[in-house]
Amino acid sequence: MAFLTLTNIEKSFGAVKVVHDFDMSIDKGEFVSFLGPSGCGKTTILRMVAGFETPSGGTITIDGKDQSRLKPNQRNIGMVFQAYALFPNMNVFDNVAFGLKVAGKPRDEIQVRVTEMLKLIHLEHLADRYPYQMSGGQQQRVALARALAPKPQVLLLDEPLSALDAKIRVSLREEIRHIQRQLGITTIFVTHDQEEALSISDRVVVMNAGRADQIGTPFEIYNRPATRFVASFVGTLNLIEAKVVDAQKSTVAIGDQMIVLGEKIDLAAGSAVQLAMRPEAGSILPGATGNTTLTGQVVSSHFLGSVIRTRMDVAGNTVSFDMFNDPNMAPPAIGDTVALKIDSADLIILQA
Amino acid sequence: MSLWTRIAGWGALIFGLLYFFVPLGGLFEFSLKARRGVYSFDAYAKVLADPQFQQTFTYSVVMALVTIAIGVVLVVPTAFWVRLKMPWARPYVEFLTLMPLVIPAIVIVFGYIRLYNTSSFLPLTGSVMGTNLLLAFGYTILALPYMYRAVDTGLRTIDVATLTEAAQSLGAGWVTILGRVILPNVIPAVLSGAFLTFAIVIGEFTLAALLDRPAFGPYLQRIGANKAYEPFALSVIAFGITWGCLVLIQLVSRLQKTAQRPA
Repeated sequence: MAFLTLTNIEKSFGAVKVVHDFDMSIDKGEFVSFLGPSGCGKTTILRMVAGFETPSGGTITIDGKDQSRLKPNQRNIGMVFQAYALFPNMNVFDNVAFGLKVAGKPRDEIQVRVTEMLKLIHLEHLADRYPYQMSGGQQQRVALARALAPKPQVLLLDEPLSALDAKIRVSLREEIRHIQRQLGITTIFVTHDQEEALSISDRVVVMNAGRADQIGTPFEIYNRPATRFVASFVGTLNLIEAKVVDAQKSTVAIGDQMIVLGEKIDLAAGSAVQLAMRPEAGSILPGATGNTTLTGQVVSSHFLGSVIRTRMDVAGNTVSFDMFNDPNMAPPAIGDTVALKIDSADLIILQA
Repeated sequence: MSLWTRIAGWGALIFGLLYFFVPLGGLFEFSLKARRGVYSFDAYAKVLADPQFQQTFTYSVVMALVTIAIGVVLVVPTAFWVRLKMPWARPYVEFLTLMPLVIPAIVIVFGYIRLYNTSSFLPLTGSVMGTNLLLAFGYTILALPYMYRAVDTGLRTIDVATLTEAAQSLGAGWVTILGRVILPNVIPAVLSGAFLTFAIVIGEFTLAALLDRPAFGPYLQRIGANKAYEPFALSVIAFGITWGCLVLIQLVSRLQKTAQRPA
């Protein structure tokens, strides 16, 4: 049974509707990322779960209890902010202890729990430090410990890694995921970074203009994008214009090349259709597998060490493909005609 | 920078300093002339030994502390709320807090006497405690521009919205947020406002004289009208108190900068 449910959630600011009819169920212990560009409504939904915004319509329940009209301090939800939001007048220990003190826990219990939390984030030696004496990464780990200390039902992470440098971002996201798994806490993570979302989530919600375009596992989101927006927003994608030749046999034409697709086409013969293909889906290496071939002329080729990134022209479409470097084969030269072997299942028909 | 510009700069600075310090020097020198033919601190000794000085000064200090307390209780939540929930109202609130600089204290006090006299619905002037309270409220209004600005500037240095939300998500209510998160982080700013309030209350004459309270301001005026050297000694003491407050504001501002150094 779903632990956190959002049913028909809507939110308007004045005349502007920023979240439309949002439905989602999250299981206990699940790690769900909300991914999307700025202004897509992902943070607004998170803030509605936290209680900082009131939904214009719909209900939010946690463990079967309606939270929609509860104040933020009545919800038992832990939140980590992009700007850390540690209390500058308190040291690390007091920051982590804040929620426990507010809850009126006994002094001994607070001591034990804070020590436990600081061990969890490997910062027990910095208990006396003030926020300004620590790095961004350390501050965000303390913010995580502070959010987890009162044992919240749900953990909300609002772009917690955005203010950190690339190296810290990667290590901290792994740490967050490790701690989340260890505690089994239901978590919503908001980010605009697709790599972050794909790498640590059980499920990803791709948001676009206040709606969930697709909800699925990172594997599904990346390999089977449901909409044109998801396809273009998540990862790099080649968009290829084609024409339906025979819908029954799933045959399309790219220029004068006939391709049989792996999925059913619901369009009449002669209709234009857009196909999508990931750059890593094809290869021109000898012995490459694939039931379909796209032939084109190389327009550029970049040797990037382990990977060779090539772009070729296929009937007016620029198709980019990546392949691992093979010491026995020189990179293709500009002007070469190459045959790209792909599996027809990797050519996705974009519906919307 | 050319030589002439540099000379002109130094000239302007020296002129400014002389303009400011020569009268003060004259004041100080005259206050030391109570004993004929030699410099002495006789005038200061007389002033400090005067029981009326001690009474009026103590009264004004107590009133200053009460005014500061009322100011903090009034201004900190107001400035916090305006910043958090009503940013659109900020220009209006700022305008309102500036009114005491435009409306003379004598107008305020006559308004008070008219509103709260013994035949009014709230006869505050009918008792000593009531009049003291009225005086403290009046002082709070006079200090409002300084207190509000100081606190608002302090709030600008912290991320009020995010800190409030962080505290709320940890279960804190408004009183806890204000008392344990916001106020401790704007203490240096509150202290700046408090020292300015202190300096204003210690020297204030109009409100205290017209409400007939034994404050330091009216005492200064009375001594000035009747004695020769003591008023000058008192003026130097009053300057000393004001400058002491300014030095404390500077120290506190530095403390704030050190405490909130970015990571």
